[in-house]
Amino acid sequence: MNNPVVVNGDKALITLREVSKMYRKGQESVRALEAIDLTVPEKGMVAIVGPSGSGKSSLLHLIGAMDRPTTGDVIVAGQSLNALPEASLTTFRRKTVGFIFQSFNLIPNLSALENVMLPMEFNGVPSPERHRRARQLLDRVGLAGRLSHRPRELSGGEQQRVAIARASANNPPLILADEPTGNLDSKTGQMIYELLKDIARERTVIVVTHAEALAQMAERIVHMSDGKLVTAEHPAEPSRNTSEQTRRTDDA
Amino acid sequence: MSMLRFGLRNLFRNVTRLVVVALLVAFPFLLLLVMQAVGSAVERQTDILQQNVNNTLQLRARGSMGHVNMVGNEDILPQEAVEKAKGLEHVAKVEPYLLAMTPTEGHNFAMVVGVHPGDTRRLESHGEAGNPKIIAGRDLTEADRGHRVAIIGQGFAKWAGITPEHLDQATLTLDLTRTHPVIFALPRPPATLTIVGIYASGYVFGDMQLFMPLDTFRDMYGVPKGISWLFVRADTADHVPQVEQKLRTLLGEAADIIAPTNVAEFQHTTTRAVLRLAQGGIVLSAALMVIVVFFVMLLVVRERAWEIGTFKALGASNGGIVVSFLTEALALCAVGALLSMLLFSIWGGHLMQKAFGLGVAPFLPAEYKDTLINALTLAPDISPDTFGLLVVVCIAAALAGSAWGMRQIVRLSPMEAIRHE
Repeated sequence: MNNPVVVNGDKALITLREVSKMYRKGQESVRALEAIDLTVPEKGMVAIVGPSGSGKSSLLHLIGAMDRPTTGDVIVAGQSLNALPEASLTTFRRKTVGFIFQSFNLIPNLSALENVMLPMEFNGVPSPERHRRARQLLDRVGLAGRLSHRPRELSGGEQQRVAIARASANNPPLILADEPTGNLDSKTGQMIYELLKDIARERTVIVVTHAEALAQMAERIVHMSDGKLVTAEHPAEPSRNTSEQTRRTDDA
Repeated sequence: MSMLRFGLRNLFRNVTRLVVVALLVAFPFLLLLVMQAVGSAVERQTDILQQNVNNTLQLRARGSMGHVNMVGNEDILPQEAVEKAKGLEHVAKVEPYLLAMTPTEGHNFAMVVGVHPGDTRRLESHGEAGNPKIIAGRDLTEADRGHRVAIIGQGFAKWAGITPEHLDQATLTLDLTRTHPVIFALPRPPATLTIVGIYASGYVFGDMQLFMPLDTFRDMYGVPKGISWLFVRADTADHVPQVEQKLRTLLGEAADIIAPTNVAEFQHTTTRAVLRLAQGGIVLSAALMVIVVFFVMLLVVRERAWEIGTFKALGASNGGIVVSFLTEALALCAVGALLSMLLFSIWGGHLMQKAFGLGVAPFLPAEYKDTLINALTLAPDISPDTFGLLVVVCIAAALAGSAWGMRQIVRLSPMEAIRHE
């Protein structure tokens, strides 16, 4: 097992044990993740960085129950995702996770307000409550005046802010953002990161990013390479790859 | 917003595509409406024909043509045959005829027929071509009973020098003593008839005939009783064999009974052909609709795979997503159906004529084709039954056409949301 890493925190929200993921690509098997051990605490922002193909997104998908590991355990909010049937994974995603995508993934024929209300609709939140909370969330991301706008009528930054509001709609303990600034200019990207950081005061936000500078805004950074966790570091102490917050647990 | 409402809203995401797809869906619906309406019209008309044209039995004196002055064929039916026939169950009408022949140079002879005014004027030798068209003057009426008036075929009129222009003064005198190798003389005085109308039949011999009131015939030819021909019409084609059997029992000793042997064949050929055609059209249109919906939904699911993935990532259940797409498919079919009803109300009559000409007419016996196609009431009406059929086909096509797409939706991973990137 190579460089298994645990990101320590006060109380673990996510625990990955010996997690591997293999994909089939034609006749070939591609190893996307290899023997990942990771613990992520409740609250705070964690950035996963690494070059393309290093397994960042695959890791995010496993944590978000969008995919299943080939081997190992993924435990999020006390639930072992490996054992859950498909319907329970749907419920898990609905209640526990909020997703933010690189291309925003807003539903084109729904307004900003309706897009934010969508996860609450899936969660059975009554209509008046959905409206109230969606307005509140859009207000919080500075889009109170754009409620009835369709995605095509919003700028990239505004769309991503709607997506952030949507991800927070069901008040999930975990928000996963896959390259949330990938389609935005640096200034807008900075603003989105600040928003995510603000949200991370109340819940765990895991961000996959190429942008090292933005990753520095996270409380913790996890480096990945060739499907393995290399290091976890505190941005304040970038040189300490094996700090007290990063602990090798197994060299075997 | 419920997934049902979301599905309905999806319908209007791309108006151009909605119009194109609605037209594609409307075409088979239109075909269904046309075939259904043609089927109904032909069935209605077949019923009418069975009641009025081809369910008639002809009775003549046994071994005789029944013409009162034809050599060797002068035997006629006893008068009681009329009353006996009228008394039978399932007999709708009894029409007595008296016939005589009169020599006409150049044509050998012409036919003189006595009928009750209002009864079908069947031409001798062309019995199926009843009620030839009046081209000048008027037809016989009830008021003509017992009067020496007649209508005359255009050939006979030409032979007699009667023209439409001088019809108001036209008379024809029949010399009943004149003979011919097949006509014997009757010792009766010549009779002059006022010609009140000229008809055209389309047949040479059909145009060499003359119709007068039956009572007038009896008086002129001295035939107080008896009938040359007796036409007995059953109330439906189904009852023809039953009526024929009873007539044979009652009058078999005295009469030859000529049954319309092609009634059953006609009924089966027409009705079955029309029903098959209508059913085939409905099946074809439903299949076309399924194919259209299948490709549209396949396209929609492929195009919106990222959206389905996003829904799943956000926690939507498979059932909810399927409901939204099914609603969209159903709404699409419903729009197509409404459009087809609109098109049908505008062009339905014309399309039905075309569909009938191309599809149904070849199945009909030749002698009925023209009669039927002109007689059909091809109105573009949508009956409650047709509307019900439309709804059922609409739902079935939406479900069947969407089945593959729905399967794809269920199998899609939430990872599709990321592939959008």
